[in-house]
Formats: sequence, C-alpha cells, structure tokens
Amino acid sequence: MLSMQNISKMYQTEMVQTHALKDFNLEVDEGEFIAVTGPSGSGKTTFLNIAGMLEPFTGGTYSLDGVDVGSLSDNARADLRNQKIGFIFQGFNLIPDLNLYENVEVPLRYRGIKSAERKRRIESCLEQVGLASRAKHLPQQLSGGQQQRVAIARALAGEPRFLLADEPTGNLDSLMARQVMELLEQINRDGATIIMVTHDPELARRAPRNVQIVDGQMADITLYQRNGVEPMQKIAGA
Amino acid sequence: MSELKPIFNALLRSKAGALMLLFQIAITTAIVSNAAFIIYDRMTYLNKETGYPEEELFYFRVTSFEENADYNQQIELDEALLRNIPGVINAANFTAVPLTGSGSSSSFSVVPEPEEGRSANAAYSMSDHNAIETLGVKLIAGRDFTEEDVVFAQNYDKLPTVAIVSKAWAEELFPDEDALGKVFYVRNAPAKIIGIVEQMTAPWPSSNVAEKVVIFPLINGTARQKFIVRAHAGERAAIMRQIEDLMLQENNQRVITSLQGLDEAKAEYNASDTLMLRMLVVLIVVLVSVTALGIFGLTLFNISKRTKQIGTRRAIGARKSDIIRYFLLENTMVCLAGLVLGCIGAILVAHQLMAHYSLPALDYAYVVGTALFVLLISLLAVIVPARRAANISPSIATRSI
Amino acid sequence: MFLHYLDLSWRSFKRTPVVSVLMVFAVAVGIGITMTSLSVYHMMSMDPIPEKSDKLFHLQLQTMEGEQTRRGSPDGLPYQMTYQDAVALSNAPIPARKVPSMKAGFSVHMNTPEVKPFIETARMTNRDFFDMFNLSFVHGGPWTLEQQDNATPVVVINEEINNRLFGGANSVGNMIYLDNRSYLVVGVMKQWKLNIKFYDVNNGAFHDAEQLFLPFSLIAPFEIDTWGNTNGWKSEETNTFQQKMRSEDLWIQFWAELNNEQEEREYGEFLMSYMQEQQKSGRFDRDQLEYALRDVLETMDYRGVVSEDNRILVGLSFMFLAVCLANILGLLLAKFLRRAPEVGVRRALGASKTQVFYQHLVEVSLLGLMGGIVGIGISQLGLWGVRLTQDYYTELATMDITMLIAAPAIAITSCVIAGLYPAWLVCGTTPATYLKTQ
Repeated sequence: MLSMQNISKMYQTEMVQTHALKDFNLEVDEGEFIAVTGPSGSGKTTFLNIAGMLEPFTGGTYSLDGVDVGSLSDNARADLRNQKIGFIFQGFNLIPDLNLYENVEVPLRYRGIKSAERKRRIESCLEQVGLASRAKHLPQQLSGGQQQRVAIARALAGEPRFLLADEPTGNLDSLMARQVMELLEQINRDGATIIMVTHDPELARRAPRNVQIVDGQMADITLYQRNGVEPMQKIAGA
Repeated sequence: MSELKPIFNALLRSKAGALMLLFQIAITTAIVSNAAFIIYDRMTYLNKETGYPEEELFYFRVTSFEENADYNQQIELDEALLRNIPGVINAANFTAVPLTGSGSSSSFSVVPEPEEGRSANAAYSMSDHNAIETLGVKLIAGRDFTEEDVVFAQNYDKLPTVAIVSKAWAEELFPDEDALGKVFYVRNAPAKIIGIVEQMTAPWPSSNVAEKVVIFPLINGTARQKFIVRAHAGERAAIMRQIEDLMLQENNQRVITSLQGLDEAKAEYNASDTLMLRMLVVLIVVLVSVTALGIFGLTLFNISKRTKQIGTRRAIGARKSDIIRYFLLENTMVCLAGLVLGCIGAILVAHQLMAHYSLPALDYAYVVGTALFVLLISLLAVIVPARRAANISPSIATRSI
Repeated sequence: MFLHYLDLSWRSFKRTPVVSVLMVFAVAVGIGITMTSLSVYHMMSMDPIPEKSDKLFHLQLQTMEGEQTRRGSPDGLPYQMTYQDAVALSNAPIPARKVPSMKAGFSVHMNTPEVKPFIETARMTNRDFFDMFNLSFVHGGPWTLEQQDNATPVVVINEEINNRLFGGANSVGNMIYLDNRSYLVVGVMKQWKLNIKFYDVNNGAFHDAEQLFLPFSLIAPFEIDTWGNTNGWKSEETNTFQQKMRSEDLWIQFWAELNNEQEEREYGEFLMSYMQEQQKSGRFDRDQLEYALRDVLETMDYRGVVSEDNRILVGLSFMFLAVCLANILGLLLAKFLRRAPEVGVRRALGASKTQVFYQHLVEVSLLGLMGGIVGIGISQLGLWGVRLTQDYYTELATMDITMLIAAPAIAITSCVIAGLYPAWLVCGTTPATYLKTQ
C-alpha cells in the first residue's frame, strides 16, 4: 500500500547540500507493523515526514494506496493525510487550548463529519485508550502517558488505514511506554498498518519488521517473528 | 457554524490577550464613529456656500488721521478711484465685511419701540447703491438700491428708510407671508424691505445669525472705513497689490490695513474648525493604523506561539484554507464582541459630548459604518499573518524542540 | 542589578525587533497625539500670572434692567462695564488698586515723511495697571497721577515700538504722533509676552497685548472710541460719543486687586451700596442687584478660554492613548508569556519572583522611555502642523519644559501600568511546569 522508489531528499543551505535521504526504497504492505530505526541524524524523521506527506521530496516516486503523491496539490495531500493517515508524535502535540474531546475532534472536523458521528467516534476512541471519563480535561492536566494515549485516540478517530508514529514512547517512562506499545500492537491487530520510528532497539524488536536507515539509505531489513505469528499470514488474514 | 465553539473555548482559555484586542476595538469604534461624525459636521459647515463669489472679492480697512476731514466725500472719491482700476467690477464702502468675524448685529422688530412685537436678529451693514453688485449676491425679489435711496449722514443724524435683506432673515421676521414691501423697525425708525437676496452670510458664519443679513443704504463716514472690491478672479491679486499705494496717493493722512481676499478671511475665521478637522482626521487614521498593527502583531505572536499546533493541525489533515479560516474566525469573534461594546461606547461618548459641548446628536449610521469599517480593517490585518500561518510546514509537528 | 536588567531588556528588544518596534511605535504615537493636544490645552489653560492670579479680580455689574440678562453669558451678567460705572468705581476709595481699561487703536507716526504711518492697538487705562499686572520698564515709568488727572497726552510704549521708532534708544521725553495728536513718551515698557490676553478676552483670548498704553482720562476729551466690542441693551440714543459715555453701553473692562477675603467682602459690600445708590437715580432698575468678582483663573474658565474643540481633542487623545496601551498590553502579554520557559529556567536557577517582576518592569519602562522620546518628536511634528493652520497658534502650539518632561513620564507610567499584569503573570509561573514539558 506504500511504495517508495528511489526517494531522495536534499536540503540546500547557502554553502552545502545535504542528502537526508538518498535513493530510498521501501514497500509496505497492508497490515504491517514496521519499526524504523537508525542513529540520530540518519534521516528517520525525514523518512517519516515524506511518508506522511508533511514534506515534499526532491526525487523518486512515492505512491500511497496507488495514488502518486508527488503529483498532488497541497490541499489534496492534506485531504489524503486526513483520510488515510493517523499521526502519533513524540511530543504528543495536543492542542493546549482544547480539551481532550475537542482535541480528538480536530481531524474529524477537517473531514467534515457530522456532529453525531463525531461524538460517537470520539467517545469510542477515548474509550479505547481508557480516557473516556476525562473528556473535559485539558491536556496539561494529564500525565505524559495519558497525553500520548489521547494523541493515539486522535490518530485513531479518523479510522486511518495507516498510522505513523514518531518516537511514540520517547518522552515516556518504561511502564507507560509499554502500555502505549501494547495499545499500538492492539491497533495493528485490528487492521491498521503502522510505521513507527524509534531509536530504542528494545521497542523495535517488538515490531515484526525492522527497517534501518543509515546515512539516508535503507541499510538492513530484519523480519522478526513474534509470538509465532508470521507477518505474511497476518496480511493474508486481513 | 459548529466550528465556532472550540475556537471560542480556546479564546476563553487565553482570555487576557483577546480581552485587550476586544477593548482596543471597542474604544477604536467609539472614538472613530464620534470623530467621523464631528468631521462630517465640520465639513458640511466649511463647505457651505456663503452666497458670495469669495475669490472675486477682497476688502481692506482705511484708518484716517486727517484733521477735520469730510469722510463722506472721501468715501465717494475712494469708491470712484477703486471702480476705475481696470479689472474691478465694482467697489463699495461697508461698515461690516462678511466672513471676517468683525461687524455689528442687532434685533429688528415688526413694530416701533416701545411696542412689543415679533423681532429677529440680523447682522447689518451700511453701504450704498453699489453694495449688491459688489457683493455679487443674487437678488430674487424686489429691486436694488438706487442712488436716491442712499442717505448721507453724520453721527446718524439721518437714517435710511429702505433695506435689502437676506431671504433667511426675511422668512424669520415675516413667516408665511411675502416680506417684500413690508416695514420693520430699527428701534422706532421704519425701514421698508425693497429687495430680498437669495443668500448672504454674516461676518460670523458659525453664529446663529450666519445667514441673516440686512443692508442699509447709508453712508455715515468716520475715521475708520472698510471697502469691499469685486474684481475678476484672475486679476484680483494684481489689483490687491496696488491698493495701498493708490489709496495713499489719493490721501496720505491714513493707514491701509487688513488687505485680504474674502476667501482668505473665511479661512482665517474658520481656522480652528479646519484645525479640529485635521486633528480628527489624523487621529482617526493613526488610531485605525495602530489598531490594525495591534491586531497584526498579536496574530503574529499567536501564530508563533502556536507554530507547533498549526503544524500538527496541518499534519492531521487541515488544509491551508482551514488554518486561515481559523484565524479569521477567531479574530472576527473577538472583533464582533469588541464592536458591540464599541457601538455602546460610541453612543455613550456621544451623549457625554452632547451634554457638555455644542455638538449635534450622533447619527447612528456613523456607528454602523465605523463598525463595518473596523471589522474590514481587522480582517485585513489578520489575513497576512494568517497566510503566513498557513504556510507553516506540517513537518514542524515531528520536530522536537 | 538595574544595569543588568537594562541589558536584558535591550537583548529582549533585539530578539523580537518587529514586535518591539511595533510597541515603541504604539507608545510613541499615543504619546505624540496626546501631547500635541495636551500641549495646546496646557498653553491655553496655563496661569498667565501665577504670582498674583488669585489677587486680581475682574468685575462685572448687572446693569441690565428688569428681567434682562446678557445672552450667551453663563450667569447672564454683561462681560463689560459702562463708562460711567468704570469712572465712578475707579474714583472710589476702595480698593487701593483698581483700573478701568479699554482697547483702542491709533495710526502711529512721527509727523515726518520718513516714518510711514502704521496702525497699533492701544490700551486706555490708569497708571496702576502696570503695577497690578507686574509690568516692568526699560526706560522711564508710568505717567504721574497728576498727568492722569489732568488728561495730559502721554504714552507708554513697549520695546518693540521703541525699536521701530527710536532704534531702541531711550525715547523718554520724545514725542510721537497718534492719529493727529502728539503724545509725550513717559516710559518704555519691557515687551509684554503673554500667551493668553487674560485681562481682555473679548476680542479673542490669544491676541497679543497692546503696544501702547495711555491714560484712561484721555477718552473723554479726545473722544477715543473703543476698538473692542460695544454691547448695548437699552433703547437710547448713542449716536454721538458724548451720548455713548453717558449711556448704558458696555465697553469698558475693570480689574481690582484684592489681597484677602476681608478686602473681597468689603469691596462686595461697597459695590452693593454703590448700586443701591445708583438705583436712586433710576439706574440698576431690577429686583436683584448682582455683581461678580472673578480672579484670573476663574475669569478664564468663565469666558471659556480653552475652546470646546480642544477639550474634546484632549479627551479623545487620552482614549487614543488607552487604545495604544491596550495594544501594548496585548503584545507584552504575548511576548512575556512566550518567554515563560526561559523565566522557568531563571526561577529554577534561583531568581526570586520579585526579581523577575522587577526585570520585566525595567523592560517595559525602557519601552516607555523610547516611546516617550519618539513621541516628543511626533508631537513636535503635530504642533508644527497646528502652527501651520493659524497664526495665533504660534505661541500656543509649543511644548514648554513641563510638557517635555511630562511626555516620557506619561509614557513610562502608562507602559508600566500596561506591563504590570503581564509581568505579574510571567513571574507567577511555576518553574516546574516549563522545565518538564516543552
């Protein structure tokens, strides 16, 4: 469902050109859970930004669900993000002025979903992350783990087929990190494709497929078998 | 628009900044609507026709120190001299010159004293049979003075029996009837209205006798004289330059002063109104700019404060137009609240001004007009920073601080 | 510490240059507009003779008969006095110093072809006028009592006329011609510069003082008529000057110097008895006898020396300043709050709330100072514009030292007021909140 061929991203400053990604190739199938690892500055975030259409790329082709992303207008990319992709950020990125309910509501509003339907979805998502009772709270009244769970609820509310997580546990302690990770695994089991950027090898190992980026290029792909479930079988079942 | 609720909630949670903007817009509306109204009021006054071809007219004063002079004869000589200047249409001696702020006014009655009857105030001037042509005013009824009408007096030992009056005054003294041919009284001396002029302005255009003028055909020479000269507009300046020499050549036992065009005299009389007008215009322009800059700056700040938030919104599917709309709506909400307060404030200020000063009642159309204008300006002030916000890259969302 | 804060403020200014300049601009414009109208107001309402403005009293008598009152006068009293009352009261035993006066005008010349005759205004008054209004002489002095009583043609000229006619030399003892009569110069007065012609506002409060001063006693023999206003209310023949002097026409101003409340009271009683006395001869024919004694400032207020327009402008200007302050408050709030994380670090490093508060107040004061200084420039521009509009604003549309000091003072004060809430808000942040999350 996601296909990147020879993707490159070049940053140009006055003096130097930097390749953040160079001839990057990746194919992701529906229902996969991929962990992207790599050292600091290797291009992990650039990859994520391009995958999420947050940033344009300078070369190659990228298609998402058969749509050639490179040819889309800014608005079309926004709509595509809104409909197909859910984001989970390291810093949670909840909107501080809005309460939990309103935060989860944001993507639904952009999609133009009717109020009653919005309410149903928000409540179900908050239920799923275990924060339904706190809908009226403001983000700063919650702990980091709780905030990240709200962010996940926000990502899920749009019922995306594709979840992009950027160091989702980076700001959390290990207990909370584990909870969040379990939530992601549950979401993956429910059918969503997940790409997770992380620098934590422990966390990466829990993902069925690992992609390592070194110096802007895919270096290594390792397929882990987890709990006896073959990734390929999972896809077949989906 | 269900969209408004979360914007409103967000506003409530960061109220101080929004409150300041609201306050600012409210006061701006209150000031601008009142100032605009005062400006309109003054403009109407300043642009009002006087009935005179001001740029053809000029006047000057003659102060004589000649011993045992025959002033009446001197006036005749001077008038003849002035009329002989090429380019001069006519010239006449007047005891009061319109638009200069210096003259006489009195109350005239329909019955002689000591009887009590209807009376009306008017600015009056004494002149001769050249008065009407010199002033360039339009006679709409009756006739002009003839040479026979003019009375030559000393210390007012003889009085004229006819007068030409302005329509405004004729209508005040003789409402609902034709004033032409009617008699009014200067104390107990009768004067018949032989002519009515469409419009004439008093020496004090802002007073309550502004348009109420009476002219008597009387020459009562004294040491201090005033002459009005009417010349072709293009030649006026050149003629004015030779006046002093010409008059002193005729008789050097005197001093010529106040040589001035009537348009200049009017401008001088109205200087404080012009000043008020200019000050208010500057005030409005600067005030609106400051308010617009304030909105601009505050939005800019709000945007930089919310960079991450905007990036996140973009990442989770907001179009650029959604971001612009967000800021426009946010601003409009604050602005509307401010405008409501501002309209109330404008009316309160207007009441205060009316209670303490001689200002007419505020026309509410000015409040509405100002409110719309302020709304427009505030939207314009937001649109630039909002577009900048829309251009924030969604990749900001993944950037850690 | 103050210098350190000043340094921090300057850095903060430079860090957000656009917004900082915007704020300074807002203060400057607010101060500029306010100071422009305030300066004119200040000059118009300034005490013109602070040494004795509470001792000089302008006298008005209600001479109008029956129910009549002067139209346009706040209390219905005529602004001026009759000639006969002015003469009678100036010959009265009390108070020690009182003067009738009247504006006149003459053609001034030397009766030689070299000096072209010119018109000057003159004041007909008594010799006490110079002492009462604190006027000093360059040469000579006032005319003598004897000259005054004998109606001798003498004149006091001011420096400007003395320069014009005598090239600045001591002209005492010389003759000058006023109209067709010669007058002996007895004194050259130091130029009387005044913003408000408070002793006679009848023909405009902002005209210059007269250039010539002559004995009031010359009015009758030389039939010197007023160049000011004459107001009549009574139906009587006033065609000749002799008739005018005997009439109820109002054309003289009258000032008395009263040094304490007792003198005021005594003079009041005297005036009542004077009017009662006059009633016997048929004058002051009314039920309620009225007079008014107002000191200089009261007179200025009574006669509305400060124009309505100016009051409105001052009011609007202050509202305008309020808008500028709201503007700054909003921007400061945004600016300071954005800095909360930095403040969190400072607090964690041991800065006390007071120190943080103080630091921010120094910062807003700096803004105020800069705004005030730029504001003076703007108001000078504004005053220049005012002076362009009309000649008589030349003296009024200027900033005196009081206003020059007031400008930055008002600017700093208002900025500090605007900055209090944002500063309080920012120093109230708990350091922990900002250290933990971003």
